[in-house]
Amino acid sequence: MTAQALEVVAIGALQLVAVFALAPLLTGIMRKVKARTQKRIGASVFQPYYDLSKLWRKDEVVSDYSSWIFRSTPWIVAVATITAALFIPVFVPLSPFSAAGDVLLVLGLLALARFFTMLAGIDAASAFGGIGTSREMMMSSLIEPGLFLTIFVVSLTFGGTNLTSLVSAAARTGIVIAPTMLFGLISFLIIIFAETGRLPFDNPATHLELTMVHEAMLLEYSGRSLALIEWSQSTKQLALLALLANLFLPLGMPASIDAGLLPLGVGALMTLAKVALLAMAVAYVETRVAKWRLFRVADLLTAAIASAMVGMIFFYL
Amino acid sequence: MRDPRREAIASFVPAAASSLLTVALSVSVLLSASAFRLSSPMIEGMPSISLSFYVDGTAAFFMLIIGLVSASVSIYSLGYAGSYSGKHSIKVLGSMLNLFVLSMVLVTATNNAFSFLLFWELMSLVSFILVVYEHEKEANLRSGITYLIMTHIGTALITAAFLVLYFQTGSLSFDSFRSAAGHLAPFTKDLVFVLALVGFGTKAGLVPMHIWLPRAHPSAPSNVSALMSGVMLKVGIYGLVRVTLDFVAPSTPADAWLGLLMVVAGSSSALVGVLYASVEHDIKRALAYHSVENIGIIVLGLGLSVVFMSFGLESLAALALLASMYHSLNHAVFKGLLFMGAGSVLMRTGTADMNQMGGLVKKMPWTSLFFLIGSIAIAGLPPLNGFISEWLTMQALLSSSQVPNVVLQLSIGFASIAFALTLGLASATFVKLFGISFLSRPRSKAAEDATEAPRSMLAGMTIAGSLCVVLGALPFVATSTIASAFGFDMGLVSTYAPFGPLTVGYAAGGLKSASSLSMPTVVLLVGSVGAALLGFVAVAGFGRKTTTRRYTTWEGGFGALDERTEYTATSLSQPIRTVFKSFFRPRTEVDRKYHSDSNKLTKRSVTVTTETREIFEDQLYSPATRAVVAVLDRVRRIQTGKINSYLLYVMIATILLLALVVFQP
Repeated sequence: MTAQALEVVAIGALQLVAVFALAPLLTGIMRKVKARTQKRIGASVFQPYYDLSKLWRKDEVVSDYSSWIFRSTPWIVAVATITAALFIPVFVPLSPFSAAGDVLLVLGLLALARFFTMLAGIDAASAFGGIGTSREMMMSSLIEPGLFLTIFVVSLTFGGTNLTSLVSAAARTGIVIAPTMLFGLISFLIIIFAETGRLPFDNPATHLELTMVHEAMLLEYSGRSLALIEWSQSTKQLALLALLANLFLPLGMPASIDAGLLPLGVGALMTLAKVALLAMAVAYVETRVAKWRLFRVADLLTAAIASAMVGMIFFYL
Repeated sequence: MRDPRREAIASFVPAAASSLLTVALSVSVLLSASAFRLSSPMIEGMPSISLSFYVDGTAAFFMLIIGLVSASVSIYSLGYAGSYSGKHSIKVLGSMLNLFVLSMVLVTATNNAFSFLLFWELMSLVSFILVVYEHEKEANLRSGITYLIMTHIGTALITAAFLVLYFQTGSLSFDSFRSAAGHLAPFTKDLVFVLALVGFGTKAGLVPMHIWLPRAHPSAPSNVSALMSGVMLKVGIYGLVRVTLDFVAPSTPADAWLGLLMVVAGSSSALVGVLYASVEHDIKRALAYHSVENIGIIVLGLGLSVVFMSFGLESLAALALLASMYHSLNHAVFKGLLFMGAGSVLMRTGTADMNQMGGLVKKMPWTSLFFLIGSIAIAGLPPLNGFISEWLTMQALLSSSQVPNVVLQLSIGFASIAFALTLGLASATFVKLFGISFLSRPRSKAAEDATEAPRSMLAGMTIAGSLCVVLGALPFVATSTIASAFGFDMGLVSTYAPFGPLTVGYAAGGLKSASSLSMPTVVLLVGSVGAALLGFVAVAGFGRKTTTRRYTTWEGGFGALDERTEYTATSLSQPIRTVFKSFFRPRTEVDRKYHSDSNKLTKRSVTVTTETREIFEDQLYSPATRAVVAVLDRVRRIQTGKINSYLLYVMIATILLLALVVFQP
C-alpha cells in the first residue's frame, strides 16, 4: 500500500471517528434549541453523552418472549449505520472506500438497519412494538422511494452514484440554482425529517402510544442495547444532514482532497457549521408544527416523492 | 415398494442427481464457451419436425438455474414427501416432479419450434397435475383450472408467434429463425414480439396475466411451488429472452418501443405484485405475489436492455441484460428458498395463514434462519444477492439519460418511481412475512407444538441459502457466468474497476461519473466495523460489569399478555392498506350483535371482516368470463340433442364445402 493510499484510509478513519463522536452532540444541540424555543432552559448540549454513558453501565432487561433477533438488532443497526457513515464524505470531499460502495449501498445499509429495527419491534410480542412496526412499515415504504428518487435526481445532475465524485462535483459547481436541484432539495428536506423521526412525522420525545413510531419499536430496549441504537440514530442523523449540506449547499467545501490543509480545514469547519445550522433549523421547525395524523403523514411523503419526480422531469426536459 | 420413505428416496435422489448433471452440462458449455449440439435423424418427408437440441450460452444459463434450484428442491422433497405419506401417492408426486424438471430442461435445450411447443405443453400439463396434487380440496381444483386456462392462452399466443415466424422463414428450426432475424419486416417483427411477450408473459406472471400465480402456488405442494416459482417462471423468461434477443433482435431506434412496452409491463407488474403481497396474510399467496413483483423487475431490466440495444448503446444494453439475468438467477435461488421455508412451516403447523403462526424462531431455529436469509435477499438489502441485481437495475435506470429521446427518458423515469416504490414496499412486506410468522409468541396450538423440519429439508434449504450468500458476497462469480453465457465482454460493463475483478462497476462518461460496488470489500468493512465496535464496547464499559435479566414483556400492570394482544399480519399491514386504499378498495364490514334490540349499548359480539379487492379480477377477468359464457350460451342453442337437426348441420356443412371447392378462386 502506498503512502498516499494510507493517507486516504487514515483520513477516512478519522472522519468516521469524528462523525461517531460528534453525533450525540448534534442531538444535544437540537434538544437545546427545541427547549429554548419552548422557553425552557433545557439540558446541557452534552446531555446525550451523559445519557449514553449512563445507559452503558446499566443492567439490561430482556423479554422472555423475544429471540436472538431482538438481542442482535442493536449490533446490526450499529454496524450497518457506522458502515454507511464510512461511505459518506462528511467533513472532507472524500470517503476512502467510495469505490467499493456508493450511495445506493448507503441507502441499502440504512434500510437493513431499519428492517431489523422493525423486526425487533414485533419480536417482544408487545402490542406497542407492533404499533411501531406497523406504522414504520407504512412510512418506510414511502421514505425509501423518496430517498432513492432524491438520489436519482442528484446523480442525474452530477453523474454516477459514487459519493466522492458526487460531492466533488457538487463542490466544483457550487450551489446549483436549477429547478431539478431545487425540487430535489425539497424532497430531501422532507425525507430527512421523516428519516430521523422528527415532527410532524414522529415525536422523538414521546412515549404516548398515539404518537409513537420509532420509540415504540425500541420500547423493550434498555442498557447497552438502547445506547447502541440511540447512538446509531444520532450518527444517521449527522450523516444525512452532512450529505444534504455537501450535495445541495457545498459552500466552502474544496473540490478535491488535494486542495491543501487550510482549505480542507475550512471546509470541515464549514460543514460542521452548516450541519449545526441545519440541525437547529430542524429543531426550530419541530417546535412550530404539531404531530400530524398518521395518514396525513403519507400525504407529505407522497409530496416528497412527487417533488423528486418533478425534479426529474425538469432534468429531462 | 409400499414404504413411503423408500418411494421418496427412489424418486428424489435420482432427481437431485440428474439436476446436478444438468448443472454440469451447463457449466461445461459456459466454461468452454462453445455450444452443445445434438440432433436426431430427420423424419422422412417432415423436415420441420425433428428433434434437435442446441445448448448455447443462453440455454446453458437457464439450465444452470433449473439445475441448481431443482437439486436443492429434490433434496428438500425427501423430507417433505413425508407429510403426504399415507394420504397421497408419493410415487405420483415423485414421478411428476421428475418429469416436470425434465420438461423444463428440454424446453431450454430444444432448437425447434415444434418440439419446443411439445415440451412446453408437457411442462404445463405436468405442472397442472402437480398443482391439483391435493385434489380432495375443491379450492385446489379451482386454482388448477385457472392455471390450465391461463397457461393455454399463453401457449396459443406462443404458437401464433412461432407460426408467424414459420410463414416468414418456411422452417420451424430456431436456426432459420435466427438467420432471418435481420430481415423481418417491421410489422412482422412487432407482431412476433407482442405475441411472445403476452404468451411468455402469461407463463412468467406479468400483470395482468398474473392471476393464476396467487392461486396455483398456494395450492401446489410447497416443493412444487418452489420449483414453479423459482424455475418455471424463469423458463417463461427464457422464452422471452430467446425470442427478443435472437429472433426479433432489436437494432434500430424504431424497435425502442418494444423495449418500452417491456419496461411498462415490468414496472407495473413489480408494483402491483408487491402491493398485493403487502396486504396478504397467507404466506404462500404473499410469496406468489412477490414472484409477480420479481418477474416485473426482471422484465424491466430486459426492456431497458432492448431500449439501449435499439439505440446502439452496447455497453448499457449489456449492463441492463446483466441486471435482468442476475435477478433471474437470484429470484430462482431466494424464491426457491422462501417457498421451501414456507413449506417447512406448513408441514409443521398445518396452516399457511400467518395469523395462526408466531414464535417459530424458537421452535424451528434453522428454518427461520433460512427464511430470514431469503427475506433479506428478496428485500434487496445488502449484503445478500438481491441487493446486487437491484443495484445493477438501478444503474441501468440511472443511465436512461443517455437515451436520445425525451419521451423514453421520461417513461423510464416513471418506471424508476415504480421500481423505487416496489423496493420500499418489498422490505416492509418481508418484515411482516418474517416477523409475524416467526417472531413474537405462538398464536395457535399448532404453532406452539411445532418442531424443527427434518434434516433433508434443512439440507435442501442450506444449498439455496448458501447460494444467496455467495451470490451476494462474491458477485463476480455470477457476472462472469452471465457475461460468458450471453457473449458480451465484462469489460463492456466493468469499465471502471478499482478493485480489480471484485468490482461490479460502470463508468458512463469517464471516471468522473463512475459508479462501482465491490461487495467483498463491503463485507470486509462490515466485519471490521463489527469487530471495532465489539472492541469499543468491551473497552468503553467503564469497568462496570452489566448483567442481563430475563423477564416477561411489560404488560402495563394488567396481568399476563396473551397471543390475542399481539399484532397480526392483517393489523400490521393496516396502515399500508389505508394509504393505498384507492388501489385495494378495502371493504370492511362490522357486524354488531346486541343482547337486545332495544338497548344498543351492550353488545354481545362485534365481528369485523376486512377484504381487499383484486381489481384485475373484478374489472378484467370477470367481465371477460361473463362475456364468453354469454356467447357460448347462445352457441349452445344449436346443440338441440335431436338427430335430425344434426343431420341438417352435416348437410349444410357439406354444401358449404362443395361450394368452396367449386367457387375456389
